[in-house]
Amino acid sequence: MERLLSLETAYGVTGAVLLLFAMLTWSDRSSPRHRSGGTFWFILGLIFLFGGLIPHWVTGLLVLAMVAIDGVGRVSSSRLVEPEPVVSTSRGHRIFWPVLSIPLVTVIVALLFRYLGMDVNRGALVGLGFGGVVSMVIALLVTSGLRFAGLKMMINEGRRLNQSMGAVNILPQLLASLGVIFTAARVGDLIAAGVQQFVPGDQLFLLVFANCLGMALFTIVLGNSFAAFPVIASGLLVPLLIKTTGPYVVDPALAAIVTLTAGSSGTLLTPMAANFNIVPAALLNLRDQYQVIRFQLPYALALWSFHVVWLWWCIRSTAP
Amino acid sequence: MESAELWRLMGIAVVVVGLRLRWRSTVVVVVAALVTGVAAGLPLFSAEGVWLPLVGKAPRWLTHAGTTGIVNLLGKSFADNRLMTLFILTLPAIGMVERYGLQEEAGRLICRVRAATVGRLLLVYQLFRILHGVLGIRLNGHPSFVRPLVAPMALGVRGSQVAIERVKSAAAAAENYGNFYGQNLSPVQAGILLVFGVMQSQGLKLSVWDLVRHTLPVVSVSLLLAALQFWWLDRQLQQKRGEQ
Repeated sequence: MERLLSLETAYGVTGAVLLLFAMLTWSDRSSPRHRSGGTFWFILGLIFLFGGLIPHWVTGLLVLAMVAIDGVGRVSSSRLVEPEPVVSTSRGHRIFWPVLSIPLVTVIVALLFRYLGMDVNRGALVGLGFGGVVSMVIALLVTSGLRFAGLKMMINEGRRLNQSMGAVNILPQLLASLGVIFTAARVGDLIAAGVQQFVPGDQLFLLVFANCLGMALFTIVLGNSFAAFPVIASGLLVPLLIKTTGPYVVDPALAAIVTLTAGSSGTLLTPMAANFNIVPAALLNLRDQYQVIRFQLPYALALWSFHVVWLWWCIRSTAP
Repeated sequence: MESAELWRLMGIAVVVVGLRLRWRSTVVVVVAALVTGVAAGLPLFSAEGVWLPLVGKAPRWLTHAGTTGIVNLLGKSFADNRLMTLFILTLPAIGMVERYGLQEEAGRLICRVRAATVGRLLLVYQLFRILHGVLGIRLNGHPSFVRPLVAPMALGVRGSQVAIERVKSAAAAAENYGNFYGQNLSPVQAGILLVFGVMQSQGLKLSVWDLVRHTLPVVSVSLLLAALQFWWLDRQLQQKRGEQ
């Protein structure tokens, strides 16, 4: 039971699905990149299956190999994938069952973990894995029935979605690694030292302001709040705000999540976040490619200001 | 700061320049990691396993005792963060039901909400996208919902044709508003997991449920501000119509 409910089980199933994606990609001769694309997903599948067993330096080399394959442009196509024709529309509301089963199973497994006195966070992740499997079974039941042809079609549809997202799929994992190496190289300390020269450490409002401004500006530059967060967290948020001394108690969960969404205001303002701001303008056939950003500008500024005031007020109210 | 220390900031410069020049984001991130590690004097490999006999013989940048290698750090954190990519397991089912008309059915569902104005329609759509976040469903709604469904519906509302460009960009904005702030309402979403992972590497063990709880006020205000902006849009449309 304990074994079945481990994260390794979820990783194992994901690895197996990735290996299936790889095989289908290899056998898809119509795609000009079927060999390198298949190899990319094959390596990722291996890391999912054996990442906990093989030495870290081997995993590291495998990651470098995947990025090299992507670097020569052999995994994702930048063009939008043509939508497949709809097979049938007569399924009614049943069509929602598979997608609804994913969050449902996730929550049930998380609650089961709580009931068994285990880590609820891990329960939600293991539950996501189980939810994926359950949703596949339900999807087959409401569409083609439990037949091999249906299963093959479903895995192929998954591969289509996966392929259209491409190597961007592993970007969060890579960015987390970058954060670890930034930490090992003490980059955060350097940024913090730089900012500390400008911000007096005892001014709570200025600290909060600098933290939220740094997050938004860094997100604008990088075009991605997920990329900015590790740097801001290790350079500003943790050393300057959370570990600050004084009469205040800073709730790290509150400060962390508010810092992340302070960055989202930056995402609303930057052409670097092309998939959210520039591509939609093209999709909607707008005359000005910055029209979406222009509409979002007042909203982003107002919401960012709320982040500053709200975080400042929450921390301030902890003072005796 | 000494100039030797500033070299360690080269990684950030690589990210900024690389993304601006639209190089592959995976390559940019890995090169930034390598540059930062080398600048900080980290070896490529830790002095362990097959690398142990090479200590002292091989150059210091390849391996030396006492410091964890860059490739080891890369491999370990990549393996540790496999949880961020578990969503791949949900793709087959989603792809399958999409093929069987998920979006058409979802469109029919939205249409049943009798929205008299553009603003109300977009606010309902934003709520709908926040619901996606709560359910832990991750998708880019621009190609799947906004372009084929929401924008045509908004332009179908009587009187919205007076400012087509503005109505279209408002539809795209509603998607971003709902997506960005709603996605933190589920503990299995990438944003929450990223914050959880990063803070853990900083030595702070948080609960993902606390992160979700603290995101509620932000989501509420994000909705409130959107309601204001969309109400303002409705007013502008009305005035423009009056002028004509």
